[in-house]
Amino acid sequence: MGLLSLLIFLPLAALLLIVLLPKTLQGTFKYIALGFTLFQFLLAGYMYSQFDGSATGINQLSGYRFVEQLSWIRLDLGGLGQLEIDYLIGADGISLPLLLLSSLVMLMAVGASWNMQRKAKGYFALLMLLNMAVMGIFSALDFFLFYIFYEVMLFPLYFLIGIWGGVNREYAAIKFFIYTLFGSVFMLLIIVGLYFSVTNPETGAHTFNMLYMMNPGNYIDGSFFAYGSSNAVWGIPARMLGFIVLFIAFAIKIPIVPLHTWLPDAHVEAPTPVSIILAGILLKIGGYGIIRVCMSIFPDASASANWWLGLIGVISILYGALNALAQKDFKRTIAYSSVSHMGFVLLGLASLTAEGVSGAMFQMISHGFLSASLFFLVGVIYDRVHDRYIYHFRGLANIMPKYTGYVAIAFFASLGLPGFSAFIGEAFVIIGTFNAESVGTGIPRWMAIAGSLGILLSAVYFLWTLQRMFFGKTRLKGSEEWFKALKDLTVREQVILFPALALALLLGTMPFLVFDKLNASVLNLVTLITEQL
Amino acid sequence: MSGLPYISPIYASIVVVGLPLLAFLLQAIRGKKSTSGLFALVSIALSTLISGLFVLPQVWQEAPVTATVHWFTIGDSVFTLGILLNNLSALMQFIVCIIALPVHIYSKAYMKGDPGIHRYWMYLSLFCFAMLGLTVSKNLFMMYVFWELVGIASYLLIGFWFTKEAAVAANKKAFIVNRIGDIGFLIGIAILFSLFSTLDLVDLFGNEGVFAAGLYKDTGLITLAGICFFLGAMAKSAQFPLHVWLPDAMEGPTSVSSLIHAATMVAAGVFLMASIFPLFNANVLLLMAIVGTITALSAAYFALCQYDIKKVLAFSTISQLGYMIAAVGIGVWDAAMFHLATHAFFKCLLFLCAGAVIHEMVHHKEHTKLDFDPQDLRHMGGLRQYMPKTFVLMSIASLALAGFPLTSGYLSKDAIIIAAFEWAAQHGPGYIVIPIILVIVSILTAFYIGRLIFKAFFGPIRIPQIDQQAPHIREAPQTMLVPMIFLGLGSLFFAFSLNPLSYHQAEILTGFSVRYAFEEIHSLHLVIPIVLTVGALCSWILAWKWYVKGKYPLQANSLWITRGGEQFGLDELYKKTFVNGTLALGRASQWCDKHVLDGLIVHGTAHVVKSLSRAIYWVDKHIVDGLVNTVADTTYYIGHLLRWVQNGRIQNYFGFAFTIILIGIVYLIFR
Repeated sequence: MGLLSLLIFLPLAALLLIVLLPKTLQGTFKYIALGFTLFQFLLAGYMYSQFDGSATGINQLSGYRFVEQLSWIRLDLGGLGQLEIDYLIGADGISLPLLLLSSLVMLMAVGASWNMQRKAKGYFALLMLLNMAVMGIFSALDFFLFYIFYEVMLFPLYFLIGIWGGVNREYAAIKFFIYTLFGSVFMLLIIVGLYFSVTNPETGAHTFNMLYMMNPGNYIDGSFFAYGSSNAVWGIPARMLGFIVLFIAFAIKIPIVPLHTWLPDAHVEAPTPVSIILAGILLKIGGYGIIRVCMSIFPDASASANWWLGLIGVISILYGALNALAQKDFKRTIAYSSVSHMGFVLLGLASLTAEGVSGAMFQMISHGFLSASLFFLVGVIYDRVHDRYIYHFRGLANIMPKYTGYVAIAFFASLGLPGFSAFIGEAFVIIGTFNAESVGTGIPRWMAIAGSLGILLSAVYFLWTLQRMFFGKTRLKGSEEWFKALKDLTVREQVILFPALALALLLGTMPFLVFDKLNASVLNLVTLITEQL
Repeated sequence: MSGLPYISPIYASIVVVGLPLLAFLLQAIRGKKSTSGLFALVSIALSTLISGLFVLPQVWQEAPVTATVHWFTIGDSVFTLGILLNNLSALMQFIVCIIALPVHIYSKAYMKGDPGIHRYWMYLSLFCFAMLGLTVSKNLFMMYVFWELVGIASYLLIGFWFTKEAAVAANKKAFIVNRIGDIGFLIGIAILFSLFSTLDLVDLFGNEGVFAAGLYKDTGLITLAGICFFLGAMAKSAQFPLHVWLPDAMEGPTSVSSLIHAATMVAAGVFLMASIFPLFNANVLLLMAIVGTITALSAAYFALCQYDIKKVLAFSTISQLGYMIAAVGIGVWDAAMFHLATHAFFKCLLFLCAGAVIHEMVHHKEHTKLDFDPQDLRHMGGLRQYMPKTFVLMSIASLALAGFPLTSGYLSKDAIIIAAFEWAAQHGPGYIVIPIILVIVSILTAFYIGRLIFKAFFGPIRIPQIDQQAPHIREAPQTMLVPMIFLGLGSLFFAFSLNPLSYHQAEILTGFSVRYAFEEIHSLHLVIPIVLTVGALCSWILAWKWYVKGKYPLQANSLWITRGGEQFGLDELYKKTFVNGTLALGRASQWCDKHVLDGLIVHGTAHVVKSLSRAIYWVDKHIVDGLVNTVADTTYYIGHLLRWVQNGRIQNYFGFAFTIILIGIVYLIFR
């Protein structure tokens, strides 16, 4: 078993252990989860350090590292030919940073679950199942395998929100589930369509191999998704339709405006660790899917649709920021800020310039651990007084100085203060988008300028929240009782927060730690698409 | 400096920048224990020494020294970290050090006993690091990084007393207004990057750079880039109409106001304009000249209407920054830098003196437990008797601000105004408005600063007292006086030029040796200084009559004064339009989210699906199932009817049998 498989299936071992151990040992579950995720994180870190930046990834298997290929399902379908499904996994400059990020966020989530008492067995088991699924999504190179992991991911999340969530948890869980399912069901249709359009050049059989799908030469002439085919559904060319359907599936995850309304509800109702995973990893699956699937398999469609992608990105940035400004619930503010920050990812990807796409990738990574920290910070206050209404707090800096310090750093890091990672991401999205018109990828300059207004608005809502909740004379809704309950950060909480914020600083000052790994893959991706312009 | 060992100015300047960073980190780690400010003091003292001994002398009038290291590659574009040491950057670095050092020493006494003192020193070191880094950055990306870092240091220090509502409102405002400028800066960077694929200052603006090679500058994009960078400078250097944050920023400690919001950070915009001067084409330069002039005039007027001693000085700073920007606009960025240097000294000193006065006023307030505003000029008066040294020092600084002969301000202000006349003469009659306004502003400046001095130090004592006891006001302590005396010396002519009457021998101007685009007019060099000096003297005589002799002819409540004090409602206008507008937009999008996207579409779809399933259920129940049930019911009924046949009574069975047989017989008979 290769390292990548080990990374994916380690949580499965933890899951089995947790399920098999009797309930009387439920105190050990969190240690098991912590041990396995810690090992997973170290393993991902080791793989990251071993990865050489020259791997070009994207559409060449030779550009991937840690590749494992096993034939999994072979079925003779008679007239339909041979069914060929492989267990094909590998990592390139796009997926490896996200794998490392996921393992870190999982670690944070396990740390945030430390006081989880209720149904601990089920909780940690589901958490580990989710862990396995996301690792699988980021590694799978076979579309069938990808889809399986993608669907497996939904199941634990539904229960984690629906059972361990807040007051309105059933509503949030079902909304989240149906939204995502809505996208993925149609994705299945496209997968089948692609399967019948693409053949493995070695065996001549139809294939689910995503890399083969990225090569125009592997399409059967006259097949539904063949390049330049005249197939159309309701007047939309087949390849554009495939792109749109897959884009919607992943755009729901990002999420884009107007497909974002599951996110505030899911975040607000989910328990803190699940919010951390949602913001830290799940949203990245959307961005990753767009890169790996939509843009790589349909480069021609993405080259012609990128104006719309950019527009959606700009709308998400501004609309999310304005919504964040209007919220009165601390957690909802953070949730909407995620919509705004993920809009930068879409805008950067749409720019089709190396700077913009790299900026988008960097923004995803940076947003991963920054939003995880932000949700954790909201959780801190909610744990103590079970309230997070902004106007119920004032002057927290006087009674919780350490907490305020961490909040201030996380806020400033998120609003793009230079020296922190979000700045690099956002600045290069803006620079790359601005450059797009010179390169001729069809993204107008005003989109860069409009996007930069999002940077301004993020300062507005973060600083306003800081002013309202943390500064001024201390005044709390729950008066004396709250004064006692609002203790400053514990050591455990600081142990979780400190590395994430330190990482934001590290990547903000040394962005080459990420760029060196992803440059070759990003350039390959950009070439793949701009060839189609 | 032959007696000193040679140290590469690059390494020396890295140390200059690095020391405050080290101090910041050490103080951040030590946290609350770090109250003495020792790290901050030592680091800035060493930085000043190194900058003064090993950087400036070795760079001044020499070829620029640069060093570049690779930072990161993104796609194919390489981004570097670099240090650029030329006359401009080395001078700016030294000015920052030499101003920061006395302010640090002053703070030792001024901030004594504050419960948050550990944060104060930490933030101050952070500011010094960012500001010093800004001065020597070799590329615009790095400069942007430090540009925002000084912004955050300023944010932290304005809101230093975070329990004060006004302070936390002010720091938010400062940061957000500066963010508007930052976005301009960022877009400017994006434009230059997309045009030239480099952000290196030397490659772009150096002697062999892109712009020196005679690039055609009148394109839309280069104009836009110029305007974008200028927007950045407008926010940072508080130019009209983005100046609104600076008066509010006075909520921070006075020592902070003097260092950051008067002498150094706010001048960063001017420094940026000087650094990238070749970028600007004639249109952008004219825009700068106009904005600078409007700023100078409006702020001088607003300064006249203030009663808060710090607010007067804040508007004065804005007005002087307007001078500098106007100077850049007319092409004499060397004069702008000269004024920046002289202004740094005397404006810093003015704030420190004001701080000393406020310190004593607060002391008196605490002692007598009376409730009054210790910063209000109307409560001062006659302080000359109690604080003679402060009075002398503040007077020197005021003379320098007014541009009186023998002071440094005289030299630098003349340099700007004379150049402005020469520039106007070159361009045409309409342009003469700008230099004339600058002259008027100069006289207004003399008047408002005279008003401040007369109101605070002359006339009767107006401080609220109990039973006519002597007020508890004493001279500032030694620790505060020494830095003030140092700055006072720096406000005199010999600090910058050995010739007290002509700016031509000023070291800074000769050092930059900028070639002006217009002819020198010799007669102006005699006329302008005389006009300015006489104008200043006249204004002081008037001010003396009004404020000391009490022959005040104006209505203090007149609309021109009260509204001027509120900047004619500019803040309210911004609040009503931009702030409330943004909030309304936020609420509107929330409404849209809740009622349109979620309410109409998501819940609507859910409702439709639910209704549909209910309808199908009805069909299922009543039609599909109904049909099935009808068949079943029919079968059942028939079965029910036939059931009584099988009732188990033998008599009945015999009866049936006989009946059938009977029917059979009847059938057979009648067949």
